[in-house]
Amino acid sequence: MALIETAGLTKEYGQVKALNGLDFQLEPGIIGLVGANGAGKSTLIKILLGLVAPTSGRASVLGMDVAAEARGIRKVVGYMPEHDCLPPDVGATEFVTHMARISGLPRTAARERTAEVLRHVGLYEERYRQIGGYSTGMKQRVKLAQALAHDPKLLLLDEPTNGLDPTGRDEMLDLIKRTGTEFGISVVVASHLLGEIEQVCSFLLAIDAGRVLKAAPISTFTQRTSVLAVEVEEGADRLAAALMGRGFRAKQDEACVLIALEDEALYDAVRDAVADLGLPLVRIQQERRRLEDIFREAVPASAGAQ
Amino acid sequence: MTAEVLPAPVAAPVAAPAIELAGAARWYGNVVAVNDVSFSLGAGVTGLLGPNGAGKTTLLHMLAGFLAPSAGTVRVLGRSPHRDPSVYRQIGLVPERESVYSFLTGFEYVRYNGRLQGLANADSAARVAIARVGLEDAADRPIGTYSKGMRQRAKVAGALVHEPQVLLLDEPFNGMDPRQRLAMMDLLGEMANAGRTILFSSHILEEVERIGTEILVMVAGRLAASGDFRAIRALMTDRPHTVTIHSSDDRKLATTLMADSAVFAVELQPNGLSVRTAHLSAFRRIVATSCQAAQVRLLEVLPADESLESVFDYLVRR
Repeated sequence: MALIETAGLTKEYGQVKALNGLDFQLEPGIIGLVGANGAGKSTLIKILLGLVAPTSGRASVLGMDVAAEARGIRKVVGYMPEHDCLPPDVGATEFVTHMARISGLPRTAARERTAEVLRHVGLYEERYRQIGGYSTGMKQRVKLAQALAHDPKLLLLDEPTNGLDPTGRDEMLDLIKRTGTEFGISVVVASHLLGEIEQVCSFLLAIDAGRVLKAAPISTFTQRTSVLAVEVEEGADRLAAALMGRGFRAKQDEACVLIALEDEALYDAVRDAVADLGLPLVRIQQERRRLEDIFREAVPASAGAQ
Repeated sequence: MTAEVLPAPVAAPVAAPAIELAGAARWYGNVVAVNDVSFSLGAGVTGLLGPNGAGKTTLLHMLAGFLAPSAGTVRVLGRSPHRDPSVYRQIGLVPERESVYSFLTGFEYVRYNGRLQGLANADSAARVAIARVGLEDAADRPIGTYSKGMRQRAKVAGALVHEPQVLLLDEPFNGMDPRQRLAMMDLLGEMANAGRTILFSSHILEEVERIGTEILVMVAGRLAASGDFRAIRALMTDRPHTVTIHSSDDRKLATTLMADSAVFAVELQPNGLSVRTAHLSAFRRIVATSCQAAQVRLLEVLPADESLESVFDYLVRR
């Protein structure tokens, strides 16, 4: 059974088409959702939660149709909104227990589950303090905890690292990865940061102007290219010349030499050329394609101003 | 008296840094936000880094003239910016908070900023600034209808409209999508190349690293480091360098490397050798020759802890 499936999914707000015939199928796993601002990410999330009805087309989550079984979907889906949505004057324990009870858990189960998820997200003594006094990182953890409270099968996270500093970001990304792998919960992470999607996700869904731009495993976007990059502290010009002298197609780019990798013999040629010239070697690396290239290649008409 | 009698001060203005702090501090009651910070910046782009609550925003607000330092001095283009409108003419500020009026159109907002700065040609200057951030299509819509990334760009246009010499940006990438981020990185680079002084705060280290190498790192109100992050890394002599090497026969290469005095630890790992050295330059000179000596094919060499992320980590998590 597909995790999420859409067919011809369209949503119009007056004249504006937020989603324009979206077709995709996602298998369980950790999925990154990217798109330009206004591409329809938020609309898609609202439709998947059964909060907004599509204008036409259909969508299903874990085999349940969003129009017919919205309540059933929300029972098994946890949602972490992007905006600041926490009440400032209650503690995390009280808030998450409340959310668990809203999801239908009995009082005792809600309490136990709350203790569990707060520990999972790394909130300990702070949990009884009022949320209003929390740091950004702690608030993000509470938002994640309430999404996990009712033991969902799927998490929808909208920009979970927003406002976090580098340490907080690393911790949140690690938490998302652990939630996805150790608990076997599927996760959809909406983010603008391609680097963090590459770090935690196994699949990428990129939407643009209400349509699917790309949908494929992350590894297909970051394949190795047939270019070998060799970086030296000094003497890149001499190294490039030496390699060209040996019949390789080499080009100097500042401290780097980029060489077409057509023959395994290149590796030995690089080693020998660097050794012969006595150059300090910084890096040898087969270049990879970058996730951001998909946004450099495909520029739709509506974003032409960029 | 003639000018020849006092030669030194005549030459000074050319070398004066655009931004200069000496022992600058700012406290709010008993809370010390910025503590004894000294640095100077010239033309170019510098990333302002630090954990949440380290004092980055307070520092930017002192530079923008919003706050007077509680101690020490803050100078922008040689003058104290606090309550000095003539300095404001040379400063553009993009604050972190949503500071735009939702009922104005993007164009009106930028034009008002221009008029506030006393521009005679606010209309045309606003058009130019709007075009620079790529907001032409939406310029005549109220800001209330903008997405987060568009509002962010409107703020940037508002800060650029008077062509300031010094540009201060607090988390400018916040809310921008991948394409807008790439465009903003290019814009900052262009303006730095044009000789402006740009200081921007960010949490996204991989982006900072792509924009430039100059950084200021604040930790708990103090300046933990400033300058080229690669030079800062080189100064951390208590942190040995780690290099990952992959070859056709890693075990064989390990024995050869271990014999060299530049190397003090080699670990066999599934993806190659993890080599630790206290003398990176010396090590870099022996890698290729060691492979020749061991008769192995050298496939990959990767510096493992030279990135801005590692440097930041070392500075903050000590």
